Amino acid sequence: MNTNNNIYTIIYTTVVVILVAAILAFTSMALKPKQEANVKAEAISQMLTAAQFAEKSELEALGNDKILSKYVESIDKALIVNGKGEIVDSLDKAKSQIYTESDLKAQNYLIKKGNADALRLPVFIFNKEGSKVTVIPCYGAGLWGPIWGYLAFNEDLTTFAGAYFDHASETPGLGAKIKDDPAFRAEFVGKTTDLSEDRIFNIVKGGAKEGQTNAIDAITGATMTSKGLDVAINLWLQAYKPYLESGVETIRQKAQAAAALAQQADSLAVSDSTIVAE
Amino acid sequence: MNAKLKETILNPIFKGNPITVLVLGICSALAVTVQLKGAFVMGLSVIIVTGLSSFVVSLMRNSIPNRVRIIVQLVVVSLMVIVVDQLLKAFSYSIEKQLSVYVGLIITNCIVMGRIEAFGLANKPIPSLLDGISNGAGYALILLIVAFFRELLGSGTLFGMRVIPESFYAAGYMNNGLVILPPMALILLGCIVWIQRSIQKDLQEK
Repeated sequence: MNTNNNIYTIIYTTVVVILVAAILAFTSMALKPKQEANVKAEAISQMLTAAQFAEKSELEALGNDKILSKYVESIDKALIVNGKGEIVDSLDKAKSQIYTESDLKAQNYLIKKGNADALRLPVFIFNKEGSKVTVIPCYGAGLWGPIWGYLAFNEDLTTFAGAYFDHASETPGLGAKIKDDPAFRAEFVGKTTDLSEDRIFNIVKGGAKEGQTNAIDAITGATMTSKGLDVAINLWLQAYKPYLESGVETIRQKAQAAAALAQQADSLAVSDSTIVAE
Repeated sequence: MNAKLKETILNPIFKGNPITVLVLGICSALAVTVQLKGAFVMGLSVIIVTGLSSFVVSLMRNSIPNRVRIIVQLVVVSLMVIVVDQLLKAFSYSIEKQLSVYVGLIITNCIVMGRIEAFGLANKPIPSLLDGISNGAGYALILLIVAFFRELLGSGTLFGMRVIPESFYAAGYMNNGLVILPPMALILLGCIVWIQRSIQKDLQEK
């Protein structure tokens, strides 16, 4: 057969391409649920690591199902807030509905556009040993590709309980340390944010100043990644600022009310004792 | 087993190794050899892709129109690579993340197209399959050797397990940061080529 005539060539290539497309479509459809479960479990395990429930490798060893059940049992509230700090919606906890990297990317775009009303930012509040840990994400650009991660705060909403970061393609051994080096993540623990300042949190090249609580050291040899992470954290904290501020305000009011109540109780006790004395 | 088939299988592992002798597939060899686990999965993926695409192209070899044969080969190779990538995403997600773009880049790995052009198009399916597999294995072997040294010296681990005891670090031993970066992989690769050429004198140019 002459395999070189035009009609044969056209038919042949068409058939091959259609066949290949069919195989690919089938593979993609068959594997999609499993792949999505992986992506979800990965994101959840990153949040749980940020909130210091367990180390990332321990969670990975558990497998997807156990990660999901751990999430369901420890989550208290999964809210969606807008850029003004108002709660507009919530995520389905039982189905462990979360934001994946692509959702974060879309929000990052909206934050940059500065449209506070259109923002739909997730807030995850976990129950951990009797107290609440709030986890919020961040997203930005590293040196080679996107970087993103989760910041976990203690009950006061200003002190870091932990953090976890991931990246698409930072340099192994340098920029990749944001993910691979537990020492870098550990630096966050106990540090605070300063919502009153322009720069809420700092990653400082050459080392944070002694006594500065809203700063950590940048990674040596990874200037661009550190800078990118600094920008990402500040941008996202700025977007969450109204929510965090109102949270901090509520806590302050509660504390004030409790103090007033205690004072009242004190004065009552005093008057009681004076009566007894008489 | 006849001598020719044996030659087909053994030649690519050492005497005609795709990386050290044919110098193909260097790019990914530098990129994915930071850790043994990644190198292992990458090697396995390449073995599967080279083997299966050589096999499929060989099945089609008498019907492929000569003028579009490169495109048809590319379509077949891409199909294999994407299927492998999808499978990794579904069943070995953390490793897929680590390998990132390099699985997709197997499409451009010269070994695959090189073996199809040089062997698959002119031979029967079974020898082609074996040729593809053993070329992939030759590639995987070099990857594992390079990754062994890079992970040992760069991170002090093998397959993620710590082999250099903590007491060494306490005594002042430090992981070598240069070994983690691609230039050191190239230097290691150079050393392997050097060793091979000093054993196999016939590879040396006059």
